[in-house]
Amino acid sequence: MSPREIIVYLLLGLAALIVLASSAGILVMRDPYQKLHYVSPVAVVAPVVVGLAVLIQSGFTEDSAQTWLALVFVLAGGPVLTHATIRAARIRAEGDWRARRR
Amino acid sequence: MNGFVIAAIAMLAAIIPCGIAVVRGKVMDALVAYEAISAIVVMVLILLAEGFKRSGEFELGVLLAVLLFGSGLVFARFLERWL
Repeated sequence: MSPREIIVYLLLGLAALIVLASSAGILVMRDPYQKLHYVSPVAVVAPVVVGLAVLIQSGFTEDSAQTWLALVFVLAGGPVLTHATIRAARIRAEGDWRARRR
Repeated sequence: MNGFVIAAIAMLAAIIPCGIAVVRGKVMDALVAYEAISAIVVMVLILLAEGFKRSGEFELGVLLAVLLFGSGLVFARFLERWL
């Protein structure tokens, strides 16, 4: 097994571990505010690790480019979705705060 | 079966706890779990495409990433006010 393969397997193991731990956290936490903390590792950290593994395995190829294109959408979308979800949860729970301010 | 396929299977197993959260939780809990599942599925498609050396199937991951981002926003917006 070459050093490159060892690094790739380590990165893949790390990504799988992050995803498994985060999904357990999503199941265990009590409300959406707490659960959302566990979406960030899945949507931000794990995609970068997977992208690095593919990049090291394939090099600078079309496959790596498509992988990073997909992961950029996930990376860019994660914080936006988190913000939209937390906003929706708050409005559902307490009403629209902007209406009260007027 | 190489490391990419094994990692994809491990990530698919991680969908089970999120699925339980979708089924048993309240609506907003389900939305959070759905967002996690969508990110996991994109990674699984990429890992499977790399694991089986099928270049054409990387496009599935790209398409799904775009579509799931839009659908997550739509879900959040509708659950905010109308549902």
